[in-house]
Amino acid sequence: MKLTRRGFFKIAGATGAAAATNRSAPAGASAPPDDPYGCLVDLTRCIGCRKCEEACNRVNGLPPPEEPFEDPTVLNRLRRPDEKAFTVVNRYFPGQLDASNQLVPTFVKIQCMHCQEPACASACIVGALTKKENGTVHYDVTKCIGCRYCMVACPFEIPAYEYHDPITPRVMKCTFCFERISKEGGLPGCAEICPTEAITFGRRQTLLKVAKDRIRDNPARYIDRIYGEKEVGGTSWMYISAVPFEKLGFIDVPNEPTPKLAETIQHTLFSYLWSPIVLYGLLGGIMWTSHKNRAEDEDEEGDRR
Amino acid sequence: MTHHPYPLKTRFWTPGVVVLAVLMAAGALTILARFIGGIGYVSNLSTARPWGLWIGVDVASGVALAAGGFTTAFLAHIVGRHYYEPVVRPALLTAMLGYTFVVLGLLIDIGRSWAIWKPMIFWNFDSVLFEVAMCVMFYLNVLYIEFVPVVVEQFKGRVNLPGPLAGLNGPAESLLGLADRVLGKIMWVFVIAGVVLSCMHQSSLGSLMLVAPTKVHPLWYTPILPLLFLTSAIAVGYPMVVFETTIATSSFKLDGEMRVLGPLTRITIWLLGLYMALKIGDMVVRGTWVYLLDGTAQTNAFLAEMILGVIAPWLMLLSDKVRHNRRALFAACAMIVGGVLLNRINVFVVAYKPPVSEANYFPAVGEILITVGLIATLMFIYRFLVTHLPVLSAPAREVSS
Amino acid sequence: MIRAFSPGAPVRILVALMVLVWAAPALAAETPDTDELTLNPEWRAPDQETARERAKEVVPFIEAVVDECQLCRQQRLRDVGLGVKDITHSYFLLDSPIIKQREDYYGPVRFMHTKHAAAIQDCAVCHHARPADKAAKETVRCSACHQESFRGDHPDRLGLKAAYHQQCIDCHRNEAKGPVDCVGCHPKNVPDHKELVKLPADPEPWDVTAECLRCHPGAGEDMLLTAHWLWKGHSAYTLDHQKKVMHGKGTTAINNF
Repeated sequence: MKLTRRGFFKIAGATGAAAATNRSAPAGASAPPDDPYGCLVDLTRCIGCRKCEEACNRVNGLPPPEEPFEDPTVLNRLRRPDEKAFTVVNRYFPGQLDASNQLVPTFVKIQCMHCQEPACASACIVGALTKKENGTVHYDVTKCIGCRYCMVACPFEIPAYEYHDPITPRVMKCTFCFERISKEGGLPGCAEICPTEAITFGRRQTLLKVAKDRIRDNPARYIDRIYGEKEVGGTSWMYISAVPFEKLGFIDVPNEPTPKLAETIQHTLFSYLWSPIVLYGLLGGIMWTSHKNRAEDEDEEGDRR
Repeated sequence: MTHHPYPLKTRFWTPGVVVLAVLMAAGALTILARFIGGIGYVSNLSTARPWGLWIGVDVASGVALAAGGFTTAFLAHIVGRHYYEPVVRPALLTAMLGYTFVVLGLLIDIGRSWAIWKPMIFWNFDSVLFEVAMCVMFYLNVLYIEFVPVVVEQFKGRVNLPGPLAGLNGPAESLLGLADRVLGKIMWVFVIAGVVLSCMHQSSLGSLMLVAPTKVHPLWYTPILPLLFLTSAIAVGYPMVVFETTIATSSFKLDGEMRVLGPLTRITIWLLGLYMALKIGDMVVRGTWVYLLDGTAQTNAFLAEMILGVIAPWLMLLSDKVRHNRRALFAACAMIVGGVLLNRINVFVVAYKPPVSEANYFPAVGEILITVGLIATLMFIYRFLVTHLPVLSAPAREVSS
Repeated sequence: MIRAFSPGAPVRILVALMVLVWAAPALAAETPDTDELTLNPEWRAPDQETARERAKEVVPFIEAVVDECQLCRQQRLRDVGLGVKDITHSYFLLDSPIIKQREDYYGPVRFMHTKHAAAIQDCAVCHHARPADKAAKETVRCSACHQESFRGDHPDRLGLKAAYHQQCIDCHRNEAKGPVDCVGCHPKNVPDHKELVKLPADPEPWDVTAECLRCHPGAGEDMLLTAHWLWKGHSAYTLDHQKKVMHGKGTTAINNF
């Protein structure tokens, strides 16, 4: 075993240089877009007609639903988006009564929130999920390997999977109608169909202002909170409501983007591969010393390797 | 210490091996079903529970329990304690097979197995999984390279291919000779690389779940999770060597190698002690001990992991008697191995609570069959290789003691 | 509670089905003698034609409106002397190209202007704002202020479709009067069945039934649960009245496919 310091640094240097070049490659979409598109869902306007589900199904070419979209009994149970439906509307009875003592329903549309700093995009091993300038958290099936780490990472439990496709399963989630909104004047299918404009489409900054105006102008109608303004670092889809979000099945998430800790640790330890290089040098030093000592002591054993 | 590794050349088909073959067949059939009906056909994985037994056991535990490879390489080749040489090759073989089966497990678990090469082209430096994948890929190659000398030693000068392949004897021979000459000089590169790559991905496996702070139970979710994964992997390295060596030597009726294993576990006292201190310290600092007696399945799993998997075996190892008694040492090491296994299952499966869905996850029969089948195949190949290659160096037992 | 699906719907489907059963052979056969029976398809009622033309108009967008409370608005209308009597159009067809350029899944709503005004007796409920321009008319049509959805220059101005729906549904719900489901106001756009229905040259009645069921299997199942099929003996509703229906289709009819 011959180990010279020079030989060692040659190899370490080569590895390091390779790593440094890699680092300068496009590092995904780390910085959130300045003014992406978004949608503001006004839960006080939603009438639970499920037209958004129907439009979503149509524009995304999803398989026909088991129960027709006109069937209101579907609302009797709480549903989640899945690989066959990117958005679903659930009905809650938070406890308000109307004039005739009937419980007043609140309808909640669920879909991908299109986070400003998406955990799924941070997690994705191949960068198949990326945050686009227009706000979309976009899925590129041609890169996907199907590890489902995005599903582990998503704080909103949104991405679904085609578990019954043996060879080419896809991660399925709301696309924010990427193709449609990329065109001038294009709208997401759901926002276009919504009969009451419960979904307002626009630039995120504009929508925040709209939401704040609505809350300010109708303090009796809304609670003073925009879900999605700060949650997990902000989301492109935001909600305003008459009742606290906790009563409507909204998930309590921190304001910090959830992948932050993992990313920080990862980047601190491995930017420019400094820690592996240092460790390699350290181990090389130990190995060199131990073998030198050994060679001096006894020759036969040292030559064996 | 004069014994040199040698191929055992014992009878291959024992009743135990037949059982392995049956388990392998069952696993193979289930794998077939997975590639016909999809993951959903053989598993209980869902939108809420995207990762289950396969990731918890086949991948995470597979990587952790293959830590014997790099810890013994560090001890014998880097620090230069050649006294421990007899356990390096079996540990290396275990690591090599372990990582091979990690990759096989991944091929079954990921939806698009045929696309597994894509991370080599599409890089996401934000992704912990990307780093783990790269390390595992490089390390697997390192392990194969490290194993080449074993093959060379067996066949160099003795290449005798059957029948029509006899014409290839010459080229094969020169290839072995080349490998022998080159590898001897540069093996140090791979030995150190193996340790570095292991430290990187053993710790990063812990960072994997840090991406989901709202989903992982606070008993496990800690910023030092990568450090805990690294220290536990290092701590389980030697106990795993003891565990497998004891099983192998008793299965092949060889000498127990207690002269090597006893001192090896002295080091484990410090390593496991460090892991234990970090784990308990972390619990105290973050105040998560408040959960300990709330009686949920998660808390009980944590208690089992800590008490049966860390504290009890650590106390056992403290005693000289245990370290010199083959059965007791085996028991202690098996508990440590079990503890790390449980820890990985806990972090990836038990601690994971989907924010909306209430549904519990328990692995489906199909998932279990595939996992068991893979482990059986690993043991089968291990047995095959030690029968034909110079891996084990323990002499045959004179008289059963 | 809204009724997104009125109990009348199955009946409607059934009626449509029955009509089809009778009409389909005629559609398929296209014999010349049926032509004499149909009315001239070119003829349209003049008032409907006016409404249709009016619905097509797009008026200039009103940028600014006077911001005032509902009471102020009511007072102002009283001051000006505007009331139900001043209504110029007794009904509208709500069929604006502003909406149609985006989608066309439902037929136009026929809005009974006079009837609603007579019932509410308060113009300010719908004409809730006046243009800021002093020269403009006091009350303008909905589509003057509400046009495209999500305009960049007026992000919170409701689009025309949402303005209609919010106004109608909110009021119908608050007054507990009037439909709140889709087909309560809209006729659903039924695709032209001339192309869809495929029948042999001289179809038997059961051919027609089979053809209907090809696309509407549920209608057949539903039919089997109706009294129309299950009747046995007198019906409570028909007994001692003019029509004495004794038997259901299931027991005695000839065409019980």
